[in-house]
Amino acid sequence: MEPGNPLLDDYALSLCRRKKPRVCFLPSASGDADHYVVRFYRHFSSDACEPSHVSLFRRDRGPGRVREHLLKQDLIYVGGGSILSLLGVWRAHGIDEDLRAAWRAGVILVGVSAGSLCWFAAGLTAYHHDARPYRGLGLLPHSNAVHYEEEPQRRPAYHAALLSGALPGGYAACDGAALHFVGTELERVVLSRPDARAYRVDAAGGAVVERPLEATYLGERPQIALAAA
Amino acid sequence: MGGGGFTMEPDNPALDDFILTLAEARVPRICLLPTASGDGEAQIRQFHATFGARACEPRHISLFRLGSRPVPLRETLLAQDAIYVGGGSMLGLLAVWRALGLDAILRECWQAGVVLAGLSAGAMCWFEWGLTSSLGAPAPAPGLGFLPGSLSVHMDGEPARLPVYRAAVASGALPDGYAADDGVALLFRGTALQEVVTSRPGRRALRVAAGGERALTPRPLARPDRAGPPPEIAEYRRVRALRDR
Repeated sequence: MEPGNPLLDDYALSLCRRKKPRVCFLPSASGDADHYVVRFYRHFSSDACEPSHVSLFRRDRGPGRVREHLLKQDLIYVGGGSILSLLGVWRAHGIDEDLRAAWRAGVILVGVSAGSLCWFAAGLTAYHHDARPYRGLGLLPHSNAVHYEEEPQRRPAYHAALLSGALPGGYAACDGAALHFVGTELERVVLSRPDARAYRVDAAGGAVVERPLEATYLGERPQIALAAA
Repeated sequence: MGGGGFTMEPDNPALDDFILTLAEARVPRICLLPTASGDGEAQIRQFHATFGARACEPRHISLFRLGSRPVPLRETLLAQDAIYVGGGSMLGLLAVWRALGLDAILRECWQAGVVLAGLSAGAMCWFEWGLTSSLGAPAPAPGLGFLPGSLSVHMDGEPARLPVYRAAVASGALPDGYAADDGVALLFRGTALQEVVTSRPGRRALRVAAGGERALTPRPLARPDRAGPPPEIAEYRRVRALRDR
């Protein structure tokens, strides 16, 4: 849902088998922010898919039979926000179990920022000066870091947590880079911005090893015009 | 509050004014926690519209936006004279608070004498138990447990709650407690009920116990004078408007 850049959204939709996939947005990490829900419907229009969303905080749109609804989807898209709040609210409503069931049933699970972190075993909260490890849903047995080069405190905090053993090795992604897993294995890395990067990051022998991952830019490379001066 | 205050009766500030009178400071600091609504913009806007026009220092903390707007939670909340918790999802409220450690911070605030107020989910959260509709049909949900027993809200506005509450108390699924109409507030000092007040005449509260029920008659709060604020409040507003410029 990057402004003016549908590449990652289109990529996620292309993974669905149905021509008009059912796509459900979970904006829980933002407190079900209205503007975020509006943005989802703008990016996932009913021309391309059957969009819906589940709000856990809005009582006029109670979740009803959430599990049933989630299991019917082709794609579940989790929005960004607070990872600790997201996990807390999901666990309180039993959504964590619903999502595990959806994953086992083959529903494609997608998300940005906190909506990416949640699928992994562990990660670090983004509180300034107070990055703490938390336990995610653990569908993917790795750690995850996001906004890796955009927010300067993320990389040193992630490295320190890997070195201390607080986090298992994992994957770090910059804005515009998407890690695509099939099962628990990384299938490929795709980019909506040509110079976005992703890394496999591990602690080995008292040092952090950061390996850049091969990635595919999803857009057209700009034609380079040769201008004769 | 069983319901009421700026979110439900923006034209009748009796309960909001009552909360301000409970704080000892002349110009109390009052902080909205809109967590139960997912930090809903409408709730935050209405809070500032109401309390921005009164002799107090209003602010709010959006827990969902701490990443982009960090706030030292413990220090900020302990510095308040009153904390006002908005309505919404009780289940979501407690889950987010526990995830971020607000449960311990709010207990400290309570012990330090900060006035804790709220409506609906923001009222039930202080008790051991409430009755949430976060999952659809009303169902018991645990609160922070500062106040012993249970609370059920919107007794008149959402009539489906009371029978479920009565049955849960009768069966022992919920401890004894209170049910309150919209516009009715129960005031506790420490853990003892001190007074029941209402912003709307004719509303009621019930003491609901496994052994039986007792009606509590609320004291009607005077509806604030519509002629305008007292001169010292008007002056305070002018000073603040100058300062904020």
